[in-house]
Amino acid sequence: MSDTSTADPDLDDEGGLKRSITGKQLFFYTLGDVLGSGIYVLVGLVAAAVGGAFWIAFALGVTVAAITGSAYAELVTKYPQAAGASLYVNKAFGNRALTFLTTVSFLAASMAATGSLATGFSSYFSELWDAPPPLLVSLVFLAVLVVINFIGITESVVINMLMTFVEVSGLIIVMVTGIWFIAQGDADFGVLVDIDTSGTYTNPALAVLAGIAFSFFAMTGFENTANVAEETIEPHKNFPRSLVTGMIVAGVVYVLVSMAAALTVPTDTLADSPAALLEVVKTGILPISTDFMTKLFTIIALIAITNTTLVTVVTQPRILYGMAKEDVVPGVFAKIHPTQRSPWIALFFSGAVVAALLVIGNLVPEVEGTPLVERLALVTVVLLLAIYALVIVCCLKLRGQDEDERTYRANTPLLYLGIVGNLAILGFSIYDDPTSLLWCAALLGVGGVLFLAEYFFGSKGTGSRAPDLDDVKGI
Amino acid sequence: MHVIVATDGSRQSLAAAKHLKSFADPTKVTDISVVAVIRPLASVAFADDTSEGKWPSDGSFRDAAQSAVDTIAAVYDGWGPKVHKRIRSGSAANEIIKAAKQYDAGLVVVAAGGRGLSDAVLVGSTAQRVQHYAPCPVLVVRPAPRKKK
Repeated sequence: MSDTSTADPDLDDEGGLKRSITGKQLFFYTLGDVLGSGIYVLVGLVAAAVGGAFWIAFALGVTVAAITGSAYAELVTKYPQAAGASLYVNKAFGNRALTFLTTVSFLAASMAATGSLATGFSSYFSELWDAPPPLLVSLVFLAVLVVINFIGITESVVINMLMTFVEVSGLIIVMVTGIWFIAQGDADFGVLVDIDTSGTYTNPALAVLAGIAFSFFAMTGFENTANVAEETIEPHKNFPRSLVTGMIVAGVVYVLVSMAAALTVPTDTLADSPAALLEVVKTGILPISTDFMTKLFTIIALIAITNTTLVTVVTQPRILYGMAKEDVVPGVFAKIHPTQRSPWIALFFSGAVVAALLVIGNLVPEVEGTPLVERLALVTVVLLLAIYALVIVCCLKLRGQDEDERTYRANTPLLYLGIVGNLAILGFSIYDDPTSLLWCAALLGVGGVLFLAEYFFGSKGTGSRAPDLDDVKGI
Repeated sequence: MHVIVATDGSRQSLAAAKHLKSFADPTKVTDISVVAVIRPLASVAFADDTSEGKWPSDGSFRDAAQSAVDTIAAVYDGWGPKVHKRIRSGSAANEIIKAAKQYDAGLVVVAAGGRGLSDAVLVGSTAQRVQHYAPCPVLVVRPAPRKKK
């Protein structure tokens, strides 16, 4: 009597199609991902570009990013698969070359982001222990994350939430310091409207635009939420709400933190510090041992950076795996470790590329005159801004397709504004630092080489080839 | 008796499913639930190595899990017990244990372990956790040792 159940799995009992990511978890995933990337690393750069009013740059930057987030939210509710931007571009244009370019750009952006974060990690780490050379710290940090991802510890939603709480607590320390300072009555609010036009940028608008470009790295990361879209409970309702709320909360936190930093620390000091937010704590405004607070804050910053870096380290092999399955890069990247179930070759390959970025970046910074953390952050931003603009275009182009009454619809005029915003920041970034294009090209070149390797040496169907099942028949 | 057959998409899990069929008495087994667990925060949330399914252009890990569950369920076609296909999401060991409790399972079948170094170095695998915390007996199907030459 054969009675194999063929009923629609949606109608199965509660075990049938169980999703696991709640709206609240998604909110913290977004918040943690956005907050960790940058504010701890980049405040100094932004302060240097704009002057005391650098909170404006954060406010405008996060607005552009939140609009882009709303386009992502609309697309995710229509196409919940993890492939993200590549999938949307494929749906909207159906052009294989453009899809490939988008995917490779996203991969490159993610790798540059990892490099920047690993460098930021070493700057903070030197506050705790300055004996080992920063490059070594970055490389060891990266290696540890790769191994952690291989073993699979990254998969705990609870750990992700805990790390986000820690991350926010660090920023709350900065805000409380600012409030305490104001309460003491020493605050000079004039600094908050001070735009420094004596430096590189003589035009206030240009100075703010530069600030947005430098701060924009701190806004990125939300695109990685597409990773968990397919497993989100009631995505139509939860995804837009959690993603956009997460970005708005991140924006408010950024603005308050920037104001607190500007009020408590002279702009020049912020500008010269590789770990600028630490300067706020070092002022000793709070009636707690400065030494203790500095150590605590350093550890919090390290955890925040780790949280975001983990997400990027998880994302890269996923992209390579998808591309290998599509037969556009060699099939080895689709190889899954038999027991750990992770794409280990893709994982170690992306780790090696980022390590190479770090080493090369450390060998040439004197020639370029730009610190590595800034360089790699800019490369990430340039690539992501192009992708963001393209994603908004896809969102508009795909209007009317694959929709039902539950589909979230982003505000159309805002989307147009988002395209303009993304392109303006992109244009400035390239104008300001054309060398970043070289780095972008080099990273995209890695994708090109992999494509050629598959084209000339790969056999069609390597990725999706059926496994040889003979060896499992006999037990 | 309700038996849970867990799959992580590995070929070893297919071997485990076949192993159950090789000795169990189909008249004693009333239901089989084939359970796949998607890991949302992993690099690859689910990889299906058990079937020749075409990789969907949308890159859906749910589709991969569905095709693995279909392949495993097909092992029991015509065998007797009623077969249910279930896809869950979260941490693999936790979800398998939860499923066992929820369906009041009498046996959980899991695959475990590779050969060689990874087996010695990497502890704390799904199968180990299931063995320790499952509410019922657990059958852990390990790969056959290589034949001595």
